[in-house]
Amino acid sequence: MTSTLVSKSERAYIQASLQATPPLRGDGRGLLDFRTVLLETGVAPLANGSAKLNIGKMPHEGGGGTEVLAATKLEVEDVETGDGVDGGRIVCSVSCSPSAYPHLSSNALDELQYDLTVILQQTIGHPSLHPQNLTIIPRRKSWLLNLDVVILADSGNVVDALFMAARAALWDTKVPRTRAVEYHAPEETQTTRDSAGAMDIDQREAIPQTSGFDTREMVRTAADFELPDYWDEGEVLNGRERWPVCVTLNLLPPTHFLDATLPEEASVPLRMHLTFSFGTPNSANLQSMRLSGPGELDLNQIKAYIADGEKYARELFNALETKLREEDIRRNVKARDRFALR
Amino acid sequence: MAEITIRKRPRTEAVVTQRKFFKKTARGKVIKVLRERYLRDDVACGIHSCGLCAHEQDVLLPSSGSFEHASFANNGHFVLPDTNVFLSQMDLMESPLFSPPIILLQTVMEEVRHRSLPLYNRLKALVKSDDKKIWIFYNEYRSETAVIREEGESPNDRNDRGIRKATAWYNNHVSLARPPVRGQAKPPLPTIVLLTDDVANRQKAEKEGLTCMSVRRYVEGVKESGQLLDLLSAAGSETIEPTQAVAARQALYPDYLPMATLLAGIKSGQLHQGHFNANQYNYLEGSVSVPAFEKPVLLIGREHMNRAVQGDIVAVEVFDEKDWKAPADEVVDQEATLKNDDADDSEEEGEDDEALAERKVLQTELAKQSASSKQPTGRVVGIVKRNWRSYVCHIDSTSLTSTNSTSLSQQTVFATPVSRLLPRIRLRTRQAPALIGQKILVTIDRWERTSRYPEGHFVRALGKVQSKEAEQESLLLEFDVPYRPFGKAILDCLPPEGDNWVVPPKSETDPNWRDREDLRDLIVCSIDPPGCQDIDDALHARRLPNGNIEAGVHIADVSHFVLPDTPMDHEAAARGTTVYLVDKRIDMLPALLGTNLCSLRPHVERLAFSVIWELSPEAEIVNVRFTKSVIASKSAFTYEEAQVRKDDPKMSDPLTESIRLLNDLARKLKAGRMAAGALNLASPEVKIQLDSSESSDPIDVEQKELRETNSLVEEFMLLANISVAGKIQETFPQTAVLRRHLPPPKANFEKLQDILKKRRGMTLDVSSSGALAASLDRCVDPNEPAFNTLVRIMATRCMLSAEYFCSGSVARDTFGHYGLASPIYTHFTSPIRRYADVLAHRQLSAAIGYTSLHPSLHSKSHVERVLEVVNKRHRMAQMASRASVEFYVGLALKARSEKETVIEDAFVIRAFRNGLGVFVSRLGIEGLVTFKREIQFDADNYVITIPAGEQPVSIAVFDKVKVMVEVEQDKNTQRGRVVMSLSHPIDSRGM
Repeated sequence: MTSTLVSKSERAYIQASLQATPPLRGDGRGLLDFRTVLLETGVAPLANGSAKLNIGKMPHEGGGGTEVLAATKLEVEDVETGDGVDGGRIVCSVSCSPSAYPHLSSNALDELQYDLTVILQQTIGHPSLHPQNLTIIPRRKSWLLNLDVVILADSGNVVDALFMAARAALWDTKVPRTRAVEYHAPEETQTTRDSAGAMDIDQREAIPQTSGFDTREMVRTAADFELPDYWDEGEVLNGRERWPVCVTLNLLPPTHFLDATLPEEASVPLRMHLTFSFGTPNSANLQSMRLSGPGELDLNQIKAYIADGEKYARELFNALETKLREEDIRRNVKARDRFALR
Repeated sequence: MAEITIRKRPRTEAVVTQRKFFKKTARGKVIKVLRERYLRDDVACGIHSCGLCAHEQDVLLPSSGSFEHASFANNGHFVLPDTNVFLSQMDLMESPLFSPPIILLQTVMEEVRHRSLPLYNRLKALVKSDDKKIWIFYNEYRSETAVIREEGESPNDRNDRGIRKATAWYNNHVSLARPPVRGQAKPPLPTIVLLTDDVANRQKAEKEGLTCMSVRRYVEGVKESGQLLDLLSAAGSETIEPTQAVAARQALYPDYLPMATLLAGIKSGQLHQGHFNANQYNYLEGSVSVPAFEKPVLLIGREHMNRAVQGDIVAVEVFDEKDWKAPADEVVDQEATLKNDDADDSEEEGEDDEALAERKVLQTELAKQSASSKQPTGRVVGIVKRNWRSYVCHIDSTSLTSTNSTSLSQQTVFATPVSRLLPRIRLRTRQAPALIGQKILVTIDRWERTSRYPEGHFVRALGKVQSKEAEQESLLLEFDVPYRPFGKAILDCLPPEGDNWVVPPKSETDPNWRDREDLRDLIVCSIDPPGCQDIDDALHARRLPNGNIEAGVHIADVSHFVLPDTPMDHEAAARGTTVYLVDKRIDMLPALLGTNLCSLRPHVERLAFSVIWELSPEAEIVNVRFTKSVIASKSAFTYEEAQVRKDDPKMSDPLTESIRLLNDLARKLKAGRMAAGALNLASPEVKIQLDSSESSDPIDVEQKELRETNSLVEEFMLLANISVAGKIQETFPQTAVLRRHLPPPKANFEKLQDILKKRRGMTLDVSSSGALAASLDRCVDPNEPAFNTLVRIMATRCMLSAEYFCSGSVARDTFGHYGLASPIYTHFTSPIRRYADVLAHRQLSAAIGYTSLHPSLHSKSHVERVLEVVNKRHRMAQMASRASVEFYVGLALKARSEKETVIEDAFVIRAFRNGLGVFVSRLGIEGLVTFKREIQFDADNYVITIPAGEQPVSIAVFDKVKVMVEVEQDKNTQRGRVVMSLSHPIDSRGM
């Protein structure tokens, strides 16, 4: 993906040590070990959800690692007149900080951004993951969820970082509570009109016959919405457990490894990005698969890799899930308690 | 030097340091707003000589509180009111009698602002007033009292918790600030009393060991409780209906829809929003003008008017077209129909006599509907905005149960507003007997659906009925005219020389003379009504060597003295206009400017803003220029003096010549204007002749006389206004202050056209202002010269009123002035008495490069806002002057009718099922002649027939009759009112 230049001899050296028994990696990790992942949610107070993620920060030097910032912002869209879609929509965008890729020309940077945006959009925006509560008023107003991810620094495995940050930001996203406001012609109209005007009107003809299947009525009447409680951040996105995680398998037959650094990435012929969604604890859905690199694979190999990938992804998912729940508590309950105990 | 340290606050404290909330914008977007919050330990408590807080400002609260309350006579107390106290009991808080030291929490202020802006503004004024001891405690910023919303806590609960926490903190703080001194008895600690009408909050507070009270209980313990209890608004008291269970009462009105639903309905076009207008002839009918229909939406009956009060912005639902009705053609008087209603138990049942009587009235009307004049009919489903204010009322003496003047028992009485457009108001008072025969101010608090009348409370007495002072003040209050004397900050804006200010001698360096033309040698004079003190215009004309004529209009240079964004400017903008009452003038600007420094008095040098034209002898504009100038008027004429001088062939001095020249031009200008289709409108104008300045009893009413010279001045003012309008519009196309008169909708004229056609066979062509002017000229009755004037008056009433507007706010093709048939118009010529003129002056001054334009005049929204106020004030001022004239006409009539029976000629202008509306042109008043006896009414032909013996008498609209005018004091309300009865062709007394 990135075009870090490594010399042929460097590449041969890296490949040889990875294929050695026991395999050796530059930083001493095992093949399936991740570097340290640091995650913080709620970093952008004005966003509806946000997260900052770092993979492989050097604890002593205080820098380095792949750093990704993700934030979501909700916008009201008009379905009837504007370009909104009934039920809401999600728009992802990835931008790469030029300082993360100093060697890329601006055209190449644009291309990279576009590539990453497509990967994210196609996976996150897939209907199977679409949250149910992005509707404000059916067929009238809906939320547009903008998911913006910025890559601040890249030292390998940027796709996994991208998806983890996106998942954390979406997890953190709160949708403001809205209440649809509608106007029903009140039924007592008839009775009051009678008592005041003493007019003789056939009751049956005045009250419109409504069918239970007729949803047009509802759409017509609800015109607007209000925020019942504007201090409240709102409710979390529906089905937030489903947001996928991605594992990238760096394939160097016969072996494969996870969480490649930049030189390692440059040394493998083929990479496989697998995103899994774990909606319920026991199920796993493969949401997308993508191969990149000049190498080739046959179907049996792919099947085996997918089975492996699921295992890695579940581990990653569990770790992330634990951390996200911790973050929720840290930011709300603990902070409040600390305030109360001052 | 204070040391400044900046400490970055870690994000982990965001819950404490940041306050986030969502906001829905007018365009329907939702935005997230983030506020930083810094908690401090040095927010002062405001209590005098508090040992713990360092006070830098003036401390307002006495150190041990107030001992005035019965429950806290020993240890003193402070009052800490909850939000609901300000929301419902603002009159009590504002009363000078209610003066305990008050601790006002920031939470409470913010909640008040969120709930009601008008109340918030009153609260702010209250905090500033000198006679109150109010300390604002910023509890959200003091670290001990700040609260964070818990999970699942409603905003209201959070605020209540904050208020309780602050109360507890204060109690604790007071005790910490008074450490016990060894060897001395412990001093009694003042109590902080939490004042709230929220029962749940009270219970929680009691559980936490705080002292709290309801407002009523608190006031009962105050010394002057009797008067204060009257101020308690009905909304806050749980005990106003002690005898009846609320649930048992029957609802008389349908419920309102929730606000959000209303707005949704309006947005989707199913409901319509507009101002509610009561019908002054029939209290059971009202109308709402909405943009969706050409005719206003009619509301018939109490249920459909659903507790709307004149001026409220309401949402109406319009019925299907088959249910549309025509407005009633009967006079229905509230007092007559409901005279037996008892204030105490008018609630009891829906089907009592009064309700039946009302229903009967409505039914008889419906039965006789003519099919022709139906209009949209609907009902009020909710109130978008109440525009309740204080109303001037009389106590209805029949509603009193005990008239014993020493009785202090609380009674429920009716207050009848002076305005016929308002319903009676129920109020409870202990002072009822003392208030009979007085004009009083009453505020409406609420209108429950179970109550036929709104409930209100007594604010203050204005004085005896019919006394000039009370009438004058009530008039000003009724029309919302600000009449307080100018404050110090405003007077400080006047030139320090005061009366002695003069135009300094001419010199290059003097700022007063910068870019000013020296026109002191011109033969300038002013022509005004007699006794005019604020002369804002002067004129001159002279022949030029090339045969053309130079004419100039010189307007007082008010903008030289009234600078933008000063207290004087703000006050003038708020007053909008000078209000002229018969015996009083309420100035827009302090008198020093209005009647002296700006007034273009003769023989003194004055600063002016001049418009100077070069006109051809045919009065066509060759050239126009605008300049700041210095003039010295040679003479101040009255219209009459100028007329005499012009007509006197022996006079031939330059001044007289100048007037003749002006007059000549004015005639041509007028002819040109008329040819372009300007309307010659008429409105009833009478002049009150006052005896002398001391006793202002009117001697007589006379009709205003119009001379040629009136028209002279008018023509030149119009010309100046039009020229200025063009100039400022060209220079500031977005924000020019202009005035327009929209063409009236044709439907407005339908009725008048129909009457004219059927009664007189005349037609009125309303296709354009020119056509209307021409057809009005043809409406002449050779036997009756006043007929034409009458038609003009009636046509004028069909039109819309002119208004100021900001040129960027409306479409270019709606700039026109219909009445003047001018494509563009503004007001420039009376800056002393109209604020819009001051703005026009500033814009013109910037347009000629004399000054730069103040930034506020570049802002469209600011100009719009100012003009909206000016428009409203302008309208109110007109109504106030009219009402003042009416009052004096009444006095004059009363004086006359004591000597003789007053019989006047009158024209019939409306016919009702049971009466006639007549217009007495000599007195300029309208009246009603009602018949108790059954009469025949032909609605289609506007004729009533009175069966009198063998010869039934028919009277139709436009007929000339003689009426007997009497002034009768209403026995119940002490309201003086004009009663008319026919004396020719038939004597209608006793009919």
